[in-house]
Amino acid sequence: MNNNTVLELENISYKYKNDLILNKVNLKINSGEKIALLGKSGSGKTTLISILNGTIKPTQGEVKLFNKSFEELDRKQKSKITTIWQDLRLIEDLSAEQNVNCGLLAENNFYFAFKNLLNISSFKKAHKYMKLCRLHTSIYDKKIRKLSGGQKQRVAIARSLIQESNILLADEPFNNLDPKLITTIKNLLLENVDKNNTKRSPKTALVALHRLDLLNDFDKVIGIRDGKIFFNIKRNNLKKIHLEEIF
Amino acid sequence: MNKLKLNYTSLSFLPILVCIPLGYQLINNIHFGGFKLFQDFLISAFNPKIDNEIIITVIKRLNETILIGFFSWLVSIIFGAIFGIISSNIFYKIFNIPNFFYRIIRFFLTIIRSIHEVVWGILLMQIYGINFSIGIIAICIPYIAVNSKVFAEQLENIDYKSFESINQINAPKFSSLLTLIWNPIINTFKNFGLYRLECSIRSTVILGLFGIGGIGTSIFLSFQTLNFRELWTYLWSLAILIILSGLIFKKIKFNTTNKIISIFFISVFFITILFSFSYFLYFIFNNNFENFNSVSSLFKSSPDLGLFDFLKLILETIILSLLSTGIAISLPPLVIGIFNNNTSKIFIKIFAFLLRLIPTPVILLTLLTFNNPSVSLAALTLGLHNAGITSKLLFTNLDSQDKRNYIAMKSLGISKKTSWLLGLFSQQAKSYLAYCAYRSDIIIRETAIVGVIGSVGLGWQLQESLSSFAWQEVTLVLIAYSSIAIVGELINGKIKNSLT
Repeated sequence: MNNNTVLELENISYKYKNDLILNKVNLKINSGEKIALLGKSGSGKTTLISILNGTIKPTQGEVKLFNKSFEELDRKQKSKITTIWQDLRLIEDLSAEQNVNCGLLAENNFYFAFKNLLNISSFKKAHKYMKLCRLHTSIYDKKIRKLSGGQKQRVAIARSLIQESNILLADEPFNNLDPKLITTIKNLLLENVDKNNTKRSPKTALVALHRLDLLNDFDKVIGIRDGKIFFNIKRNNLKKIHLEEIF
Repeated sequence: MNKLKLNYTSLSFLPILVCIPLGYQLINNIHFGGFKLFQDFLISAFNPKIDNEIIITVIKRLNETILIGFFSWLVSIIFGAIFGIISSNIFYKIFNIPNFFYRIIRFFLTIIRSIHEVVWGILLMQIYGINFSIGIIAICIPYIAVNSKVFAEQLENIDYKSFESINQINAPKFSSLLTLIWNPIINTFKNFGLYRLECSIRSTVILGLFGIGGIGTSIFLSFQTLNFRELWTYLWSLAILIILSGLIFKKIKFNTTNKIISIFFISVFFITILFSFSYFLYFIFNNNFENFNSVSSLFKSSPDLGLFDFLKLILETIILSLLSTGIAISLPPLVIGIFNNNTSKIFIKIFAFLLRLIPTPVILLTLLTFNNPSVSLAALTLGLHNAGITSKLLFTNLDSQDKRNYIAMKSLGISKKTSWLLGLFSQQAKSYLAYCAYRSDIIIRETAIVGVIGSVGLGWQLQESLSSFAWQEVTLVLIAYSSIAIVGELINGKIKNSLT
């Protein structure tokens, strides 16, 4: 592992009941790399992301973040990874703004969680990211269950962006978005935005995708099929034959 | 001849068959000497006593009832929520605590819950003597356990993916817990917590019948002196209190986004916790343990209760529960189905309200005026009281149901009763049975009250053993009660799961 590696999977396998979902996967993600993860539905993309962010433990192998295994990391270090889930995983009974603020729970104390639930403070940071995700102020107070699919998607993205994490893991983040919004959201996700929304620094990202027309902004492409990585190449080297292998 | 098909609708009516053995025993036990008293009791309902003296007594007694009822409700709902959290799966997942503790706490709460507040009341009275505080503590003990179960059940419904998502953010554990449980707790309080105030007032009244104070004590005293006009003054004033409290809580809207209201609720929450602790400690250390020393005899004495008698009492309690449950399940749909017109419905609703209003011991004592004490009489009392409660739920659900099927069936020329049965009730039968399964848990616990008054089952034995300070017998009876209630809860839990 070189000093530049932020995330590493070593010989990872994952079994659910009798099905082998991931089979001896090895992967290194370097700082600042933007990687697209391609594969059919059920190929193991979501499981790979869940293992990378520590939500599920692999049956075999080791996950390393900044050259340390997950068990060795403290809460603050783990919170450097942010995830956008395919099924969004928002809290349905909370408002859009409260859900976005959940992204800040790691860097704040218990009182912040309390203020968020009671709405007894103004949350400028949440408003900023909701605005960046083109969410209208009228939906800030609306409960998640009352929002459209596209609005929910953008709330989940805003919740992830507000964490201002260095590492982004995203599972189909552009679902439910119209083409114009996809460009905006893609730019937001793949680049770090500082407080003034001016200075931008490189971000490490692994994004699971279905749409090939969105590959342009990525440095590398990983193809996965039946729980195995079939290719891990630079985007410029991607050929039709690679895609035929996995789709 | 067509065979009876067992479905949710027929299962709702089938338990009415308990009326055959019940009616047989009741008819055999009838005596006509007390009919005049019963007649006086009924007539007095329309002619309650109203004068200055009784109005002052009513106000004083209602104040006591409200104080005991409200305070025990507040404490039990807050501590119920806290215990609900620590007996829910989500708490153990977030804090990575072994599930072993979860099982211990749940088991402990199940035992506490299995004993009725009246039993707790009688027990505490025997130890501490008659005391105003006994009422609050006796209600709080089982209510905290009951409320905690409801809160825990709601918290179990939290989407596991939401938990994973919050967990992945790596927030402090208390922040994650609060964020996940906030809305289920608030919603449970709105949907269930407010209704518990009415229950708390009813329990205060029943404990009052045993001397705790409040309007219940006045009801019992006026019944003992056969002063039915006075009795009905107390009952009607209690009815007004219950209706008013229901109306007030319906009007209150809990807006958790309002800063002032939020801060007010949080203040009430913390003040109640602090006050409850200090009050509890004060109670423990500043009361005379009147007969508590006799608890030591538990380890010396041997129970006088024979095994055969004890098993007979257990069997009586089980039969009492089954008969009462049968009436509570089947009577409401049967009566509503037969008398299916608007005028009858109004009368049924009034009758059901009276059955809920009049405490079960008073109903039982009234019926005892013309019938000998028996399991059937106790079962009828408990069954009728609970039928009043199940009918309220059934009416509410039927009134809010889509009536298109019913109207369509009537327009086809099908009789009104059949249309009601197939077009309306059949769609409610499943959820109605699920609620009745929950209700039967309560019926099992309530057998203690009618047992004490009606000289049947373990309730009567408990009263006897307590009066003679036979603590070993008391322990045996409590273990038996608890076991019956726990087994009943397990069976009903299985039934509920298969129905929902």
